[in-house]
Amino acid sequence: MNLDETRDLLWLACGFYGLAFLLGLLKTFKINWSVFREVPLAAISMGFLIHTRALYLRGLDVNGCPLGNSLERIQFILWSLILAFLILRLLWRLDLLGSFCAGLSFLAGGVSLLFQSLDSKYWLSPNYHKLFSNPWIELHASIAIFSYGLFSLLFVVCCMFLIQRKALLARKFNKLSSFLPPIQELEIAAMRLLSIGVLFLTISIVVGGMHWTRHPDLVSGTKMSVTLIIWLGYIIVYFAHLSKRLYGSKFAKISISLFLIAIASLASVNSRSNKSVSILGPNSLEEK
Amino acid sequence: MSGTYHNSLVLLGSSHRVADLSVREKISLPSESIDEFYNGLGKIKGVDEYLLLNTCNRTEIYAASHKELTLDPIKQYFSKFRNLEPSFLNQHSYHKNNHGVVSHLFEVASGIDSQMVGETEILGQVKKAYDDACRRKISGKILNRLFQKGFQAAKWARTNTGISKGQVNLGNVLCELARRIFGKVNDCRVLVVGAGEVAENSIEALKSRGSQSITVTGRTFDWCPLSRNKPNELAEKFGGFALSFNQFKESLHLFDIVLTSTASGYSIIGYTDIKNAMKKRPSKPLFLIDASVPRNIEEKAAKVDNVFLYNMDDVSAIANENLKSRMAEVEKCKGALAQRAKKLWDQIVYNS
Repeated sequence: MNLDETRDLLWLACGFYGLAFLLGLLKTFKINWSVFREVPLAAISMGFLIHTRALYLRGLDVNGCPLGNSLERIQFILWSLILAFLILRLLWRLDLLGSFCAGLSFLAGGVSLLFQSLDSKYWLSPNYHKLFSNPWIELHASIAIFSYGLFSLLFVVCCMFLIQRKALLARKFNKLSSFLPPIQELEIAAMRLLSIGVLFLTISIVVGGMHWTRHPDLVSGTKMSVTLIIWLGYIIVYFAHLSKRLYGSKFAKISISLFLIAIASLASVNSRSNKSVSILGPNSLEEK
Repeated sequence: MSGTYHNSLVLLGSSHRVADLSVREKISLPSESIDEFYNGLGKIKGVDEYLLLNTCNRTEIYAASHKELTLDPIKQYFSKFRNLEPSFLNQHSYHKNNHGVVSHLFEVASGIDSQMVGETEILGQVKKAYDDACRRKISGKILNRLFQKGFQAAKWARTNTGISKGQVNLGNVLCELARRIFGKVNDCRVLVVGAGEVAENSIEALKSRGSQSITVTGRTFDWCPLSRNKPNELAEKFGGFALSFNQFKESLHLFDIVLTSTASGYSIIGYTDIKNAMKKRPSKPLFLIDASVPRNIEEKAAKVDNVFLYNMDDVSAIANENLKSRMAEVEKCKGALAQRAKKLWDQIVYNS
């Protein structure tokens, strides 16, 4: 294993997330696991540090924010997810949320690394200049991806909400549901995550939109439409919840569906050239 | 080893395991006769230390001596004191000695010998009995060691095994469910419909968890033949509010938890009432507990989004499930306590 090689580091980070997930589950299901109480969090933190270094090294390779291919975008979203969790963990002691986040990062990160085709070495092309021609576009892209990290955390919280709700309605409580937070707190947390995610995505859209008005040729209509539809979807969910028209299980299910659509649309973005990137959200961060 | 030690321990006891309620009533010692009982027990030859554990479910006499001690004189004394036929006492009691006494006390103190496995009240009762014996100066070196180690073993069992996990009575199950829905119970506004024993026990459980806003309503504010307490008296007792029964349906949306426990025999909260209440608080969950048989809340109310309705069957099923998981821990706990008991008995023997 080469610790100066991005992919090796990503595998290592994935391993730490997997370890955190496994230990987290063991801690949840096994009585008297106090000896290793902090180990899952330590493993997540270690994974995050390695993850950060991997993205930093890739950033040096591409001479900018590494968002040029599907692997980089997925890894950046997972990195944002863990970052958001670690920030939340300071305020909200919830180890099971960490286990869920680590599990998602392990699974999604592992799958993205398994497919070499997702990691095209676009920066090695002789025509490659720089991923982002403008620092504002780089900012736009990184904020958009960070908002996706928050939406992925929202996805995790909504899944926890549905598990807890199902247990309450079925009147059957397993160990997993007994360690989950109350559904009211989960819904409040979900709404806060949605608010911050929508705020970041909106800022990103505004920054990208300003650039797009000057260079409309840099982004395809389809990609922009998909991005705007997802943004609009989150905005509608946000205001519907705010006005108490959408809440509880419907709110959780729609948030989960929206995130899955967002991720699916992200996967459909293919690199087309190495010269420039489009604007407006992670769906449109394609190279032309 | 048996030929080298002198310290000995004996136990004569009767509990729910060998005697039903009517028998336990005959065996149990009335509180006013305990002084007299102790006086007589202390006069038995060879008994150096002794202690009586007398609860609603068990009557046990622990005795220790620095010489060989037999149970017969204690048994004879107890039969005579309680006017019981020796054969009757033999049939409804158990006898243990030495290591068996240590194991038994550890199991009793940790709650695995209780009728409701894992209950914590028994530990307080054992402590009280021990304090009483210390105050009377009838507990010495052997019993002091036995009981102090017993308290440690009980603490260990509750911390390290699942014998006390999960709630097994209505009030506590209710609080646990409320915690899963709302988090802190003290922030929840509670409405109790009915003022009977179930209502009172539930309010007690909620109060003990810090619930500050409790409102009580009932079908009558005057004398109610089916309720032990009138709603306004119950509200006053727990520092809550009383609400007119005619108005409570219009105020349902103001409450997070609604418990019904009346003997009305018909549904007093319908689907439409809940639907109307939820229109005013759509995003806030409503927790309904129908502790009445026949039910007071229409079952269809559970179909409303964000409403969680539990009836007595649901609560009993949860309590039984919790009890089952406690039972599963009993054997594991017994094994661990037996090891501790053996270790302690060896120490008592070597230190004699």
